[in-house]
Amino acid sequence: MFPRHKSIWRRILSLCLTDVREYLKRPLLLFCLLGAPLICIIFFTTLMWSGLPTNLPAAVVDEDDTQVTRQFLRTLDAMEQTEIVAHFHTFGEAREAMQKGEIYAFFYIPEGTTEAAIASRQPHVSFYTNEVYFIPSALLMKDMRMAAELLGLSLTRETLYGKGLTPDRAMGILQPIVIEKHALGNPYLNYSVYLSNIILPGLIFILTMLCTSYVIGEEWKKGRQKLLYRDMNYSQTTAIAGKVLPITIIYSFFILFTDVYLYRFLEFPCECGVLNMFVWGVLGVLASQGIAILFFGIFIGQMRFSMSVSSLWGILGLSLSGFTFPISAMHPVLQYLCWLFPLRHYYLIYVNQALNGYSIAYVWQNVVALLCLMLIPFVVIPRYRKAFLKAQYKP
Amino acid sequence: MKYFNYITQVWYAEMHQVLHNFGLIIFSILVPLAYPLLYTFVYTNETVREVPVAIVDECHSNMSREFARKVDACSEVEVLYHCDVAQAQELMRREKIYAYLLIPSSFDKDIAKGRQTYIGLYSDMRCMLYYKAALLSATNVSLEMNADIKTNNYLRPTTDRQAEIMKAPVTNSYVPLYNPQSGVASFLIPAVLMLIIQQLLFLSIGTSMGITREKNGGSGIPSDNPYFRNPLCIVIGKALFYVPLFMLIALYMYAGVTDWFSLLSLGDYATFLAFIFPYVLACTLMGISMSAFLYRSEDPMLLYIFMSVPLLFLSGMSWPVAAEPMFWRYVSWLFPSSFGTHAYARIMGTGATLHEVAFEWKGLWIQCAVYGVTAIMVYWHELRRIKDTHFLRHKQGFLCFFCDYF
Repeated sequence: MFPRHKSIWRRILSLCLTDVREYLKRPLLLFCLLGAPLICIIFFTTLMWSGLPTNLPAAVVDEDDTQVTRQFLRTLDAMEQTEIVAHFHTFGEAREAMQKGEIYAFFYIPEGTTEAAIASRQPHVSFYTNEVYFIPSALLMKDMRMAAELLGLSLTRETLYGKGLTPDRAMGILQPIVIEKHALGNPYLNYSVYLSNIILPGLIFILTMLCTSYVIGEEWKKGRQKLLYRDMNYSQTTAIAGKVLPITIIYSFFILFTDVYLYRFLEFPCECGVLNMFVWGVLGVLASQGIAILFFGIFIGQMRFSMSVSSLWGILGLSLSGFTFPISAMHPVLQYLCWLFPLRHYYLIYVNQALNGYSIAYVWQNVVALLCLMLIPFVVIPRYRKAFLKAQYKP
Repeated sequence: MKYFNYITQVWYAEMHQVLHNFGLIIFSILVPLAYPLLYTFVYTNETVREVPVAIVDECHSNMSREFARKVDACSEVEVLYHCDVAQAQELMRREKIYAYLLIPSSFDKDIAKGRQTYIGLYSDMRCMLYYKAALLSATNVSLEMNADIKTNNYLRPTTDRQAEIMKAPVTNSYVPLYNPQSGVASFLIPAVLMLIIQQLLFLSIGTSMGITREKNGGSGIPSDNPYFRNPLCIVIGKALFYVPLFMLIALYMYAGVTDWFSLLSLGDYATFLAFIFPYVLACTLMGISMSAFLYRSEDPMLLYIFMSVPLLFLSGMSWPVAAEPMFWRYVSWLFPSSFGTHAYARIMGTGATLHEVAFEWKGLWIQCAVYGVTAIMVYWHELRRIKDTHFLRHKQGFLCFFCDYF
């Protein structure tokens, strides 16, 4: 089938073509290669289309019910992230609504608040959030806190106006120190920028690892591994390279698609240019393939087991990349372990390059680590000889 | 009696298959035991403390130092450096600090003159928790100092009590209910636990189906087993194996994992059991229905693993349901995990009773009914295919589309 005089490149090319023809016969594999990344890209970007959640449902328990508290509640309702969806008569009703998941937070104004405030008896108001829902409650807490502080300040402001001060002067007294927020790189606190940028490549890396193990394992499953080895002129490297190359190309295309979609179409911040991010994404894909090839080489013949380990690695990579919960707050063992995950390095390079636009020299360790992960299959390549010649598929 | 026999034989065949296949033992027993521990371990520290920051003090006054000291005293951040802007930017690039505060040179003069002064907070946006920590500490310190300045410089109280009232005419308190430390594990792990149950059930059932199909020429009915006769009995028999097994795993998560990592556990056993039964049943029936598309033992892994992450977001635990587009909310109702994560989080986290999770509970039962019918249809179809001699004759030709190695 493959004459001896054929060059390595011709052999790889013909293996790729044979493989691609086989993919076309497998609807499920085709779905994972083409459908799954596309669905994920569409899903995450449309789910978080609004960027920052606004008008989250909250409630009030206004036992005082005076003109002053009404005014205050209107202020609270007008805030960006809060929408008052219900007025409850008792604390218990509000708590029950929270347990039902109808509201994420509520503001409690006890009876006599206005009266006590006017008489300088220092009334007390409180607000409650349901921290089982982390993001909405954090956002609502910010608004409610602001509103509660304003409530006190507005009373003082009236006193100051009474003493004959101008609004400018009054603000200088009420709020002498103002914190000016500069969220570098993501000024609108867009959650989609924060999450999609890492989750999408992360999912592509997971799919890369799974499909790589799958297509390599296929040879053993069909018992064709010896034939393949012979056709590739008894070179493990050629055989593996030919098997994984179509996967590399397909997922690199999706990396490019993601980058163009996020940075050109949705205009997410990208200080370094789309092409640059594409290169890092492709390195990530190659590193993921490296790890998949490593696992398959370690557990030779056990296709399903190496796929399980790959999937565990991929899913764990999303946590250990540290973009939701920082690595520095994790157990020290995990702080070292995270070096073995391609997504971790991709994330740090993304922050350095696309989000902040710094020089790549600051993350050289991560670039080196990514390259090392990419080259890691060479550790097990000698073992593949045994795999090709002796190992059998174990169901 | 005949049907009872069918059910027990299917149940036995399924158990035999799972226990005699190492891969299936991994999915249905080992991973459910180990994975929750691993995942919880990752998030076990719950919160981010002592985020490294720098302070750029261009004022060098008594007051600016007071500000710096108070920021350092906050538990959220740690002031590691006092430097100038260029140095702070360089430290940020080197990932030594994740935020810096810039106190302007006119800081104390502005305050003395009664003007507003602006402190710049420059934060790296790589992680929202860093930003939150830096912003929270800076805001808290500024509020405290504002109250002091206002009272001492302008309002001039005569008594201590009056000073207190002037500082805060209306006091307020913030009560984070159900997760007092605002921990990440407490909100994420319940959702992850429920997803693990669903995904592993899908994986186990799908892999088992794949193995059966590989052994029997693409048919989901074992050719050597005469008891696979009635679709209803097959579904009941299979469910009778998976539902109790994963109920036990759910109990292990409820009692074991939650306890070892001190996660929230306000729920009571009766409510939990009343909720977990329809959840596991709906997952099992959906798993059986979806196994119609799986022809090899490796296929479920390709299909289900990547779905875990979109499903976590679809469930609405991290991205609020209120901000979800309606289309995705309807899609989320297709999966038991969307109801399951909400119900479990509220039962465990907020001590909700069945009355409070009624919406999710009803949703799960509707899913049980719908997926029960589809699961029966899957096996009805499988049985009909075997009976169909026309099909058998063309078996080779038809199946090569899916399983070209036969």
